[in-house]
Amino acid sequence: MAEIDARTLGERIREARKRADLSQEDLGRAIGLDRTVVNKIEGGIRKVTALELSDIATATRVRMSTFFEDPVPALVAHRSSQGLDTADSQIDALLAKHSNDVEFVDSLKVAELGLDASEIVSKADIRQPSTNAETEALAVQARELMTLPAEEPITNLSSAVSKVGLLAFSRDVGKDTADAGTILLRRGGVTLVNSNMKVGRRRLALAHELGHYLIADAYTVDWRIASHSDDTVPLESRLDRFARALLLPESTVRRHWQEKVDQVGERNAAILLASKFRIDMSTLATRLKELKLADSQAVASVRNYRTTQADIIELNLYVPLEELEGTTVPRPFARAVLRLARDERISRERALDLLQYTVDETDLPHTRERRPDEIWKFVS
Amino acid sequence: MTIPSNAWVFDTGPLRHFTINGWLGVLRFLADNRPVYIPDSVERELVNATANVPTVGAALDADWIHVHRSTDQGFGAAFAHYVDRLVVDGKNMGECGVLAMGQIYGCEVVIDDATARTIAEEKGIRVTATVPLLCDAIRAKKLTTVMVEALADSLLESEYHLPFGPGGFRTHVLENGLLDYDEL
Repeated sequence: MAEIDARTLGERIREARKRADLSQEDLGRAIGLDRTVVNKIEGGIRKVTALELSDIATATRVRMSTFFEDPVPALVAHRSSQGLDTADSQIDALLAKHSNDVEFVDSLKVAELGLDASEIVSKADIRQPSTNAETEALAVQARELMTLPAEEPITNLSSAVSKVGLLAFSRDVGKDTADAGTILLRRGGVTLVNSNMKVGRRRLALAHELGHYLIADAYTVDWRIASHSDDTVPLESRLDRFARALLLPESTVRRHWQEKVDQVGERNAAILLASKFRIDMSTLATRLKELKLADSQAVASVRNYRTTQADIIELNLYVPLEELEGTTVPRPFARAVLRLARDERISRERALDLLQYTVDETDLPHTRERRPDEIWKFVS
Repeated sequence: MTIPSNAWVFDTGPLRHFTINGWLGVLRFLADNRPVYIPDSVERELVNATANVPTVGAALDADWIHVHRSTDQGFGAAFAHYVDRLVVDGKNMGECGVLAMGQIYGCEVVIDDATARTIAEEKGIRVTATVPLLCDAIRAKKLTTVMVEALADSLLESEYHLPFGPGGFRTHVLENGLLDYDEL
């Protein structure tokens, strides 16, 4: 952790207090100090003990180490552009939390975390796509980077993106907030997907965030993915197309769509394709439209088809576990945390906390048996 | 304030075991002239513990156990690192102060928790635990084996992992050559 002066520490305390929407008096009351003392601490005049600082961290709902560590540059840039007084949205706060957690685990040098994979992206030197052709090409390149076959469905997208150093978390943050957000770390990145959406939209949102990550957008919070028009936000629109092209490769659709329609009819063709590639009907309809494979009437029909229970039985559809459902943590991150817990390098409580309580105490690795010499080697 | 490197810094658990069993005097005897410290995070845990176990207050009243509070930023940063590794909802705070003292001042820490001890070793902090101290006490004829056997059994009933079962202390230390028969 970096050495910082009292003034910087005071400023960081002030920022944390404001983001927690607390007055100096509120904070003082929470930690048993007078408001004037809090004022002096924030001004760097009155020194603060380690224990007081941990109380301040608890009251402002941040981890104590954030006062000493240089924050992720992307977070600093974002927050300065928003102004310190701006209360962060829930998704912003969660992105900050997840990025701190990932950087903490990374600092303990656990191979399972796999952030070395991000080097593949920096070496690829990817540019922002400015045409549809470049966007389609980026989707093909993304599959290559993630070592995925060119035409196969991506059954586990969150696992695939981790192969390029992007760790995808999910949580239900409600329907009136953003779909997803991404923050670039010093190496690798973190995405949070709002699991309030249905599975097809969640996967589309993650694919869109992968686009932001690949072109090295430092900090993004995205709303209503897949509904951008070219005129308003060209880049967002391109990344929407990138997301569709990634999940539903052009070559596959071109080769199979008309053939399937001729064989089983339009509705069943749509249901089979959407099910196989795990996308929603709206995404399929837009994909058919942008590849000029269906007229406007067919596109409208596809958009309105719904897969029923009867379809699942009659068409013998495979229904896997829903990806990014509820609160999830990326597998490499979970493996790294379990490694730390197994090796007793972090407490079990902290392991459960880092895993967002997606597992419980009984799921954690058993404490290993003590070897006799481990206890007694301290005996002089 | 600098803490001498020959100081012993106690975590809450070991101190609680000593006070509950009424062996605080033995600990002072064991320390000989070594200074004994606790960080303020341990002091707070002991204060909280007195609500359930009033005898723990003896450690707070002992004038030879010094409480250390630090506003040094290097200490704060070390403390914060251990919070990252150990603390959720305020649990394990005491150990963070102990480990920070071991790291910053180079003193020997007394911790029973396995994870905190693993971390101490990783950081090159000198660390010991309750049972080794008690073995030393037997060897120095400051405690009897019968007394330590009783303590070992009480530790087994709590969270402490020992390489023997209830009643197995004596056999174990003999079999492993930790104490000679005539030292028991």
